[in-house]
Amino acid sequence: MPISSLVLTLDASPELRASALREVARDPRITLGPPLEERWLPVVTETGSLPEGEALAESLRDVPGVSFVDVVMVDFSEEER
Amino acid sequence: MDRRDFLKGTAMTAATLAASRLAYGQDKAAGTPPAAAPGGQGVQWDKAPCRFCGTGCHVQVGVQNGKVVAIAGDQQAPVNKGLLCVKGYHVGLALYGSDRLTTPLLKKGDKHVPISWEEAIDIVARRVLKDPKGFGIYGSGQWTIPEGYAASKFVKGGLGSNQLDANARLCMASAVTGFLATYGVDEPAGCYDDLDACDVLIMWGNNPAEMHPVLFSRVIDRRSRGEKVTLIDIGTRKTRTSGFCDHSLRFKPNTDLAIACGIAHLLVENGTYDKAFVEANCAFRAPSEPATLEGKAITFEEYRELLKPYTPEKVEEISGVPAKDLRMLADLFGRRDVRITSLWCMGMNQHTRGTAINNLVHGLHLLSGHFGKPGDAPTSLTGQPSACGTVREVGTLAHALPGGRVVAKAEHRAQMEEIWNVPKGRLHDKPGYHTLEMWKRFSTPTEQGGDIHTIWVQVTNPAQTLPNTHKLVDPSRKLADKFLIVSDVYPSATARIADLILPSAMWVEKNGMTGNSERRTQQWFKMVRPPGQARDDAWQLIAVAHRLLALGFEGMKDKDGRFLFEVKGKDGKPVPLWDFAHYYDVNVDEHLFEEYRKTTRIKHKDLAPYPEYVKARGLRWPVVQQPDGGWRETRFRFAGFDDPYVKKGRDIQFYHSTTHDDRAQIWFSPYEPPPESPDTEFPFWLCTGRVIEHWHSGTMTMRIPQLQRAMPQAYVEMNRADARRLGVGNGDQVTVETRRGKLDLPVWIGGRGEPPEGSLFVPFFDERLLINGLTLDEHDPFSKQPDYKKCAARVRRRELVAEKQG
Repeated sequence: MPISSLVLTLDASPELRASALREVARDPRITLGPPLEERWLPVVTETGSLPEGEALAESLRDVPGVSFVDVVMVDFSEEER
Repeated sequence: MDRRDFLKGTAMTAATLAASRLAYGQDKAAGTPPAAAPGGQGVQWDKAPCRFCGTGCHVQVGVQNGKVVAIAGDQQAPVNKGLLCVKGYHVGLALYGSDRLTTPLLKKGDKHVPISWEEAIDIVARRVLKDPKGFGIYGSGQWTIPEGYAASKFVKGGLGSNQLDANARLCMASAVTGFLATYGVDEPAGCYDDLDACDVLIMWGNNPAEMHPVLFSRVIDRRSRGEKVTLIDIGTRKTRTSGFCDHSLRFKPNTDLAIACGIAHLLVENGTYDKAFVEANCAFRAPSEPATLEGKAITFEEYRELLKPYTPEKVEEISGVPAKDLRMLADLFGRRDVRITSLWCMGMNQHTRGTAINNLVHGLHLLSGHFGKPGDAPTSLTGQPSACGTVREVGTLAHALPGGRVVAKAEHRAQMEEIWNVPKGRLHDKPGYHTLEMWKRFSTPTEQGGDIHTIWVQVTNPAQTLPNTHKLVDPSRKLADKFLIVSDVYPSATARIADLILPSAMWVEKNGMTGNSERRTQQWFKMVRPPGQARDDAWQLIAVAHRLLALGFEGMKDKDGRFLFEVKGKDGKPVPLWDFAHYYDVNVDEHLFEEYRKTTRIKHKDLAPYPEYVKARGLRWPVVQQPDGGWRETRFRFAGFDDPYVKKGRDIQFYHSTTHDDRAQIWFSPYEPPPESPDTEFPFWLCTGRVIEHWHSGTMTMRIPQLQRAMPQAYVEMNRADARRLGVGNGDQVTVETRRGKLDLPVWIGGRGEPPEGSLFVPFFDERLLINGLTLDEHDPFSKQPDYKKCAARVRRRELVAEKQG
């Protein structure tokens, strides 16, 4: 179960930020941390495979209200190499 | 807490720290990187710079049971502040491709067959003995600093020849000649801190959003925090970077010289140049006849006259950039209340006028006084992790010696003979062949002047990355007396055509040191064992040197009769380094680095002792010892407030001035047409380059499934209008052809970039689709760097080509 750390940079608009938070929080593969300055959201993803993790990170880029996705760490110790 | 909970907890702490750095910047975000906390659940963490590009991000590498199992951005690293790009966070997987080379292989008939290291080392040594002068080493900006230093000592101190060059010739040689011609000494005065302080960032033919994404995100993050930073893209095609820019200017290939002259013309004519800065710190220069890197001195009035033809209207006519945009650029440079940083990389360097355009952009910053304050800097970026540290600083080039010395100067040769303790006269005064000449001679029959009989390639892939490979590489493979040796980690395009393949250790499978684009020297320790019999590149060089010694080659002895690479152990006895079982009995990197460090003072590129780099996430030279015994790095060279070598009381001092008067040179260089332009037969411009997912020739990144899937193959990017005229859509096959070769590629329209009408772009990462069979080997007259960014091409629908061929 690969685990990755991401930081989502959220939009300046409070409405878009709230909408992004709602959408991201719905996904059971994602654990949210406390947002910093309301705009920088630490998250941890846990997926069945690395490709799924990548697809998830990529899909987060498309969520309205998410400006950027920075990947901080990826643990692939249990991935078949 | 189970393992999963532990990993999730660690991951959340890492994300929170990174978010804190993004929110508050580097200084206010506190905390220890969680990934660096030792011992959690059996994973051992240690620091290393990323293996890939010249940015020099630091990663934390997690190792468990002898394997790299996790990668994290290093929170303590000033370069990347805990963040990584898509390549960086997959870097650990670069070690574990399924086809790692694990044993030496010798070509016999059509096959490569396994042989012992003993036999392999003996073969290399005997190729040297065939004729040491004709034995070349072609190295790399991916060599570590100790590896490059060992290669320099082997060739220049041992063989007494200068047939050593490196692939950085293909990526930053014009930046070097630009720095030398302007300041008299190589490498940027500024650093990445400029990205945090500039008000305006101008990217000259540069696409950092894809090629240096971590640096680019530093600027984008400033915008996210509400800071105003004006981004300007000046390029020949629309890229991912363009989308973030306030101004995106398209120019016709090669006309960047006219644009720079046009801005200088306006600064002079409007009187908005920084007269006080120029009078105190600068002189003027123009090309001489015959052409030399020093050129000839001119007066300000002569400079002004030379610029007069470059009116905005004339420059618009030449370049296609509207006159109003040129005025906008000149107005910005003419302002004293903004800070301007220029960035460039391959767009300005891979250019037949590379030295000239580098000089001109430095000249704009000097003329306008946008220099020497944080955020005011002309800064070239490099593509490879140690193009600066190894190739430029160690000097693994055909004309160079360590520490900024050159073989042509008797004084410099004598200094190196002293440091290497070799007899006087051992070092040769004639430069060896630069990269293109070395490979041309390797591909020329011996009886026709092809006097390079053997090339040993380390850590690079020239069969894919040299230009015009049908001319420079392919013929050698049909010449019986030419012998190609390749040290690599995977069966690259070059390894596959080699006569002898040597399996190498890579990255954290060995100790290492590199130097990034901002003068930052970085260090790491070996963390895992290399697979099979793969061994360090430096060991390979030392083992061949020792075999030569055993075969009676005098050059591998110093003047006291000792082995050139002798290292003594704690017992005072020489360690048999040539026996790999003993190679790590001592830290060979530390010994080589400490010897190299002695060479670095003459150009004020002082380095700290090795243990200082063990403690740090890199230090920017000059690193100067303080009264309290500590070591202080330098962020801004030539600036009185930071550079310890600037005389007290002076704001700016160019202390390596070519005119020995502390002045930098503001150059005039005219626009001239490129050597090959589109015509009726070949009506398109062809530009080549990189993509974010793959690093250079893709030898490592194409073996990382995640990156390979994200960008599985090369393509040709076309403008929609051209595609419509040709009757092709996305995915259709076309044949791209130049005067040197042709290649079938799928079309990509409206992708991440878009070339203007009449232009094509093809990335070079795909070894199955070798675009460098088509590129031009014309090069800059001073740097000898070839131009991969513009040549004439035509493109046809694949079925039409097939019909024509019948």
